[in-house]
Amino acid sequence: MTDKPRLTALRLHKALYPIWRNDPGWKGILTTVNNNTIGGMFIMGATGMFLVGGILAMLIRAQLASPNSAFMGPEVYNQIFTMHGTIMMFLFAIPFFEALTIILLPGMLGTRDLAFPRLGAFAFWCYMIGSTSMIVALLAGVAPDGGWFMYPPLSSSAYSPGINTDIWLLGISFIEISAISAAVEIVVSVLRYRAAGMSLDKLPIFAWYMLVVAVMILTAFPPMILGSLILELERAFDMPFFQAEHGGDSLLWQHLFWLFGHPEVYIIFLPAAGVVSMILPVMARTTLLGYGWVVTAAISLAVLSFGLWVHHMFTTGIPHMGLAFFSAVSTLVAVPTGVQIFAWIGTLWKGRPELHLPMLWILGFFVTFVMGGLTGVMVAMVPFDWQAHDTYFVVAHLHYVLIGGYVFPMIAGVYYWLPVLSGRKRFFRMGETAFWLVMVGFHGTFLLLHWAGLLGMRRRVDTIEAGSGWELINLLASISGFILAIGFALVVLDVAVNAVVAVRCRRNPWNAGTLEWATPIPGPAYNVASIPVISSRYPLYDNPDLPVQIARGEGFLGTPIRNRRETLAVSVSRAEPEFIAVFPHNSIIPFAMAVVTSIVFLAPVFKWWWLMFAAAAGVTVLALCWVWQGGSRQDEGLLDAGRGLSLPTHAEVPYPPGWWGTLFLLLANSVLFGSLLFGYAFLWTVAPNWPPPAILQPGFWGPVLAIGGGAFASGGIRLADRAIRNEGASWLGLLASLAGLAGLGAGAWTIFAGTTYNAHAYDATLWVIAGYVTFHAGLAGLMVLFLTARIQAGFISARRCGDARVVQLWIDYAVLVAGLGLGAAWLPGWLP
Amino acid sequence: MVIGGITPLMLAGCEERVSAVHPAGPAADIIATLWWVMLAGATAIFLLVTILLVLAFRRGGGPSGEAADIRRETVWIKGLGLGFTMAVLAALTVWGLWIGERLLPRPGPDVVAVEAEGRQWVWRFTYPDAPGRMTEDELHIPASRPIDVHITSTDVIHSFWVPRLAGKLDAIPGHVNVLRIEAWEPGEYAGFSAEFSGTGYRRHTFTVIAHEAAAWNAFLAGEMP
Amino acid sequence: MKDILRLSLPLSVWIAAFSGVYGLEGVVCSDRGAGAGLGLGQGRAVLVVAWVVAIAVQVGLIFGLRTPRFASAQPWVQRVSMILACVALVATVWSLLPVVTTSLCL
Repeated sequence: MTDKPRLTALRLHKALYPIWRNDPGWKGILTTVNNNTIGGMFIMGATGMFLVGGILAMLIRAQLASPNSAFMGPEVYNQIFTMHGTIMMFLFAIPFFEALTIILLPGMLGTRDLAFPRLGAFAFWCYMIGSTSMIVALLAGVAPDGGWFMYPPLSSSAYSPGINTDIWLLGISFIEISAISAAVEIVVSVLRYRAAGMSLDKLPIFAWYMLVVAVMILTAFPPMILGSLILELERAFDMPFFQAEHGGDSLLWQHLFWLFGHPEVYIIFLPAAGVVSMILPVMARTTLLGYGWVVTAAISLAVLSFGLWVHHMFTTGIPHMGLAFFSAVSTLVAVPTGVQIFAWIGTLWKGRPELHLPMLWILGFFVTFVMGGLTGVMVAMVPFDWQAHDTYFVVAHLHYVLIGGYVFPMIAGVYYWLPVLSGRKRFFRMGETAFWLVMVGFHGTFLLLHWAGLLGMRRRVDTIEAGSGWELINLLASISGFILAIGFALVVLDVAVNAVVAVRCRRNPWNAGTLEWATPIPGPAYNVASIPVISSRYPLYDNPDLPVQIARGEGFLGTPIRNRRETLAVSVSRAEPEFIAVFPHNSIIPFAMAVVTSIVFLAPVFKWWWLMFAAAAGVTVLALCWVWQGGSRQDEGLLDAGRGLSLPTHAEVPYPPGWWGTLFLLLANSVLFGSLLFGYAFLWTVAPNWPPPAILQPGFWGPVLAIGGGAFASGGIRLADRAIRNEGASWLGLLASLAGLAGLGAGAWTIFAGTTYNAHAYDATLWVIAGYVTFHAGLAGLMVLFLTARIQAGFISARRCGDARVVQLWIDYAVLVAGLGLGAAWLPGWLP
Repeated sequence: MVIGGITPLMLAGCEERVSAVHPAGPAADIIATLWWVMLAGATAIFLLVTILLVLAFRRGGGPSGEAADIRRETVWIKGLGLGFTMAVLAALTVWGLWIGERLLPRPGPDVVAVEAEGRQWVWRFTYPDAPGRMTEDELHIPASRPIDVHITSTDVIHSFWVPRLAGKLDAIPGHVNVLRIEAWEPGEYAGFSAEFSGTGYRRHTFTVIAHEAAAWNAFLAGEMP
Repeated sequence: MKDILRLSLPLSVWIAAFSGVYGLEGVVCSDRGAGAGLGLGQGRAVLVVAWVVAIAVQVGLIFGLRTPRFASAQPWVQRVSMILACVALVATVWSLLPVVTTSLCL
């Protein structure tokens, strides 16, 4: 390498940097859409929440250190443990791995940013506002106090008056919007935004894990959002979903909650497994053993984890056969876990492992997580769970799994990727001391708590009683707990100090083989100067010159001639270049949208309905501004993408990134709708006080309007789509679909007219179904109007028809849910 | 191992009053056996994994190449990952289900029915064999006879749990769940509500009093409080 | 995208079958099931039939995903999808085995 290529690289950097950089000053933070900036803020926010959750844990251990403690009364203690669980699960664990993913993924995939940069910013701001509100509630003494799984009727208005529970339900739903946004972004990024040639078998293993995890977020969170929504409806309007005397059933909440809650555990574990799979081979100077098997294990684990939710409900009186199904899946899910564990140990045997600090944490992970996994298999046994359930055995088990299986690998990851995150390598050596403090503290705290549980210590008791036999164990646990806290504090301090003031280091200090080490460190705003072509899982091992070639612009899009943010989109399976994705510039809209969305969720806490509706209108306006910004008013045709290839932009392909994002958003949406139908069927079969006193008679006009409306809506948009592609007049089709959507809405309205929303759980459920259908008909109608405006403004042409496809997807979805939902609502009336 | 070592220490006190691993009835007994076997098995597997990890650091790396990797996949993934885990888990699952079957409240001539109703923060017990009898926070049963406790709640969810006799079962408004318990010997056994129920949760406890046959008949006849 | 579908189909069918059989068991054991005159013997027969059908579908998927029409052009994807199909078959047999071994509605 002589001086010449370096000059080229520097010139390319000087050309790319102004295009991709954030706005200067404080404004830059609010308007940034860059993955490195957002990820950095995200990771700091999540770490802050970890510290808050940790302080709450210390308060818990202080309370339980001695018998008959007078430190806190149950009113305060209940808030403390509820918030500890809530913060660690929702405000730390999920955001932290999402943050790490947002930073690392573009580099690993060899692309310039994630698929929807503004969505990433929106996710971050939703998270920040939501978690700040929760902390404010805690400081104000109105924090939720019903336990982090909020079982009704305890969480119903009769037994939890006051706003504590509302803050939980609405705050957590709001934060889940953030998780779902990030998940959509991650899925589409992994599927479409990669280096050329990075076919599915060459994805970095972490990207595989995150693809799986993101799909899990999309399918696991909606049941919980639905549960929160209907519980809030019950609290606010007395719609009796969970009240037995009016045909509701508190078990419905448990099903919806754990339909989310168990996959959630694997949503947290799998990113950590991805981190281990990335780091461990590098630490052992080899490559991952059984890559295909590990991918298989991750996918199997993901799907199996949706078949074990009832193992949280073994003591609710479900018949033994039902429990047996879930017990069987709960043990089966340990098989893919075992496959991963042994693949990792086999990798260590294959190579020559070196004991760097990340490796030390991974060893801590192995020891702790294996123990947690084994106690997990124990509680999968129905009879044993009947004893262990809701005792400190379960508390100890879940801390082994979550801290051992998640926090330890994440710390390993932070130390390993510290050069990528900060450009510096570790200089101050507090890390080893911190590691041993954490290990001693952790096992000292939790190992014997298993035993306390078997000795009858229930979780969530506000103090222990003298003579119970748990005093010594709890004293030991409290002392160790403080050692653990000091250890974690040292880790945070060590990382912070090293990230800020340690010596700068050379690129790729660990000699890793994946692409996140191919860029200058810390990663520049554009991540890669050009998009490389790769041919194996470890491109840097094949071609040590790759970083230089990328920097010199020898990959795709290496000459930024069009002065805008561009990256390459590839085909899903083989990663052949397909089109040029043009990214949006810095924008205040994501921040503004998050602020206004937060009002939609927080106004109902105080029953300020007018404010909620005003904010919802504001969200609509901002969303329209958001989508209006994309696209182009003229056809650009095929553009030079470098390396002799010409490609269209994303505006001129039939299925643009927005269509893909919509597809996965609708996947999440359909799971929410499916959960609603499940709830309806569940109440019919299991709930007490059924059938309802009066059953809705479908009549004639409701079904006719719905069927006719569905046909017009779907047919009309297809007519419009064909007209657009043939440069014809699309107004007729658009009008027809608009009329059809109005018909759907009118069909759904007959249900409101025929039932009383709070008479019985049946009526309440029908109102939610009809409301869901009406909402989607209205949303699709708004999109048709938006499309009409886009056509008028010249954004749509025969080549630029992607917008119409997106609208078509939403209309078809509205028609589908109307057919299923209204059909289910009318079915009992049709039956003899 | 540590846990096992501490057991004798614990036995010295009165702590076993509330312990699931000091059974006083058949259901708690078989579950305690399940626990000890699982603890032994888990310890063995944990040691195996630890030894394999330690050995990885003592070796100098193995042969490289595709053939070697395929051999490693067979040993580590197909052998240990799939074969070993599936064999252990299948056996355990079948055993766990078999135990579960034995604990179900099957009808029988000897079975005594009682009713438990949880509320914030009291347990009320009634006795179909003695209509009109109601006790609060004290459940009377005959010793060495199978008892079916019909459990429900009038407000929030609670859970009926007598650790030395059997596992727990929830009290859910609108539902009646049936739990089979049995005490070998007459005596008093501590019971808890084991589902978080608000500020009075910790004190939501009760006592099960198991009587000899004669005393039980006397209780049914209304002679005892 | 077709390759992604190939990879996710068998286990998705498993979770659908699993949830379906669990729901069926719920109906059989509910008051509504008993009210509809469904006896325990018939109930178990229905469950066993559902289990057998679920297994048959999984076996069908294994063979279907091998045919030239549905096989992936990428050998790696093809291999992983076959393993996942086998995983789904094992999961179907394993997770629903209780329909023949466990008491119904107790």
